[in-house]
Amino acid sequence: MSSFLTSRNVADVLNGITNGVIYSLVALSLVLVWRSTRILNFAQGAMAMIATYVGFAALAPSTNYWVSMAVAIVAGLVIGGLTERVIVRGLYGKPEINPVVAMVGFLLVLESVAAAIWSTSSRGLPTPFSMVDWQLNHKPVAMSPFALYEIVTALVVMIVIAALFQYTKLGLRLRAAAIAPEVSRLLGVRVGRMLTLGWMLSSAVGAVTAVLVASNYFTGLTPTAMDGVFAFGFIAAAIGGLDSPVGALLSGISLGIILQFVGDYLNSNAIILVALGMLIVSLMVRPNGVFTRSAQRRV
Amino acid sequence: MRGVRWNQRVVGATAVGVAAVLASWLGVGTARAATGLSVAAVILVAGLSVISSAELRRNHPVVARAAISVVAVDVSLVVTGFFSSTVDSNLAIGAAMSIVLLGLSFLTGSSGQISIGNGAFMGVGAFTVAVWANHHRTTPIAVVLILAVVAGALVGLLIGLPATRLRGPYLAGMTLAFAVAFGAVLNLFGTWTGGDSGLQLPYAVNAPTWVVHFFRPGTSSLTTNSVWLVDVTIITAGIALFFMANLFASRTGRAMRLVRDNDVAAELVGISLPRARVIAFIVSAAYAALGGGLWTLINNAVTPSTYGFALSITILSLVVIGGIGTIPGALIGGLIYAFAANVIAWFTAHTGLNPQGNVASQLNGIIFGGLLVLTILFAPTGIAGFVRHRWLKWRSR
Repeated sequence: MSSFLTSRNVADVLNGITNGVIYSLVALSLVLVWRSTRILNFAQGAMAMIATYVGFAALAPSTNYWVSMAVAIVAGLVIGGLTERVIVRGLYGKPEINPVVAMVGFLLVLESVAAAIWSTSSRGLPTPFSMVDWQLNHKPVAMSPFALYEIVTALVVMIVIAALFQYTKLGLRLRAAAIAPEVSRLLGVRVGRMLTLGWMLSSAVGAVTAVLVASNYFTGLTPTAMDGVFAFGFIAAAIGGLDSPVGALLSGISLGIILQFVGDYLNSNAIILVALGMLIVSLMVRPNGVFTRSAQRRV
Repeated sequence: MRGVRWNQRVVGATAVGVAAVLASWLGVGTARAATGLSVAAVILVAGLSVISSAELRRNHPVVARAAISVVAVDVSLVVTGFFSSTVDSNLAIGAAMSIVLLGLSFLTGSSGQISIGNGAFMGVGAFTVAVWANHHRTTPIAVVLILAVVAGALVGLLIGLPATRLRGPYLAGMTLAFAVAFGAVLNLFGTWTGGDSGLQLPYAVNAPTWVVHFFRPGTSSLTTNSVWLVDVTIITAGIALFFMANLFASRTGRAMRLVRDNDVAAELVGISLPRARVIAFIVSAAYAALGGGLWTLINNAVTPSTYGFALSITILSLVVIGGIGTIPGALIGGLIYAFAANVIAWFTAHTGLNPQGNVASQLNGIIFGGLLVLTILFAPTGIAGFVRHRWLKWRSR
């Protein structure tokens, strides 16, 4: 049993899950925005990165980890709200190219501003838990207290979001505003506010993700730290279907596990290629994602 | 000159030009250097007289477009003779970028598909040139550039095939993933592409001797060769411009615009959507590869870090700021790219920013990204569209 737990394949699965929950979180925050406003937020990673800088670089280095995390989440909420009100408001109902271009431009601005303020050099983040793997019979299991914390945090975030949407009046209004804006406006839902709130939630989820990424990965926190993670998160969201939170969770974790095996058995350069290949194949077979009921596009 | 036919004008202009060439040719010593200028003047007069004929523009638009391209190239070539070599090489970099922008302008502006991966297509061309030149030194430059175009077109086909089933944001995301994956591809074939440090060209690209003798006699070979690459780039850009102008106006171009504006209507009139979309991708990738190939020649080297994700974003922002879906927009974008670094350096020098500081080094991204957001929010047609709109308004008063 113990040799099984420390074997190469189990290690790949465990590491894959640890990476995968990150992709799931990125995918979830993309899905939140896509469902309510039909905009794919290319600046998602950069917004989250800024929130992390606010939480961990703008405060004194001695600040408690949990205080910094809370500040980062609040910063995420604020950034998301501001982005929706200032930039995204002007993009509703425009050709679908416009939001893409605008968010790519915003991504460039955010990354440059972050580098201008905090420089491009990487900084390590404090970690609340040890990143050394647990031992079993003097062999490492591919799971550390920090990795466990990562997985648990991701699950908690997802459960909170799911509960908010399923079991609260606010969640009902959020869903109504996304699915039928006109009808819900007639019924007294402040649709504009709900859309802003959707962006705020998405951005806060992003902030949690970026904090986890920046403290776990060897690269630390840099202005472009989220670029690669965003690419994988988008691939997970697109495979799962940009409309489906469950799809985001499942495809994120599966992607993490598959890519871990690819990196281990093939070549670390092949990881992104395999991911791209999976994206292309899955989109060609099911353009709306694996986990969504395929809907006819309205003409 | 009402009543004079356009072909008579061309003959007349050519006669004047030949006389000018002969005069300078027969002149003493230094006057021979004027030969190049005389030839340029002839071409300019002939081209302008062709363009000025309304009858020709109506009945033979291809000839008119050729004349416009020739005049544009001609003027640029003469102008480069008067600038310093730094400005010249900036212009060459910008002209190559214009080619890339023409391709993306066609893809996004005409067929309505968005690509955040054209920097990687550029990289395909750039590395094709470098790898081929390192293995086959004797191949002429023109052939190497054509190979780069072919390689770009093939990769464009590969990426374009899934694009036929994707729309808007999905497509943008896929091309983004391609741009991010490109670096990994280069690493995977590191023995060919030289890994992180990239490749050097094994030779310097020199001007043929007859060109030196004819156009720039008496100049040192060093300046001649650096000017030669600028000339090659500008001429290539002119050819690319000519083809793109025809493509925009052709049946294919019109079909693309219908696909963009209303794909259902396009299908109903018998346009094959997948075919139109794949063709747009192939053309765009081929143009990007040509621009990338020229960059390798100009820099005499290629590094993978040049062709990262950031370049793809820059290309997109240049197209949008210049004016998406228009040919002047692509040229404006190329000019902006050529001199952006100088303008920003001037700005930092005059505002007292530390040129080595964080803020100064990031100004490029802040300004381009900010302009991109502002353009799409307030003037989605870009500079070219804005100017055209103003002009039409002014004329109709």
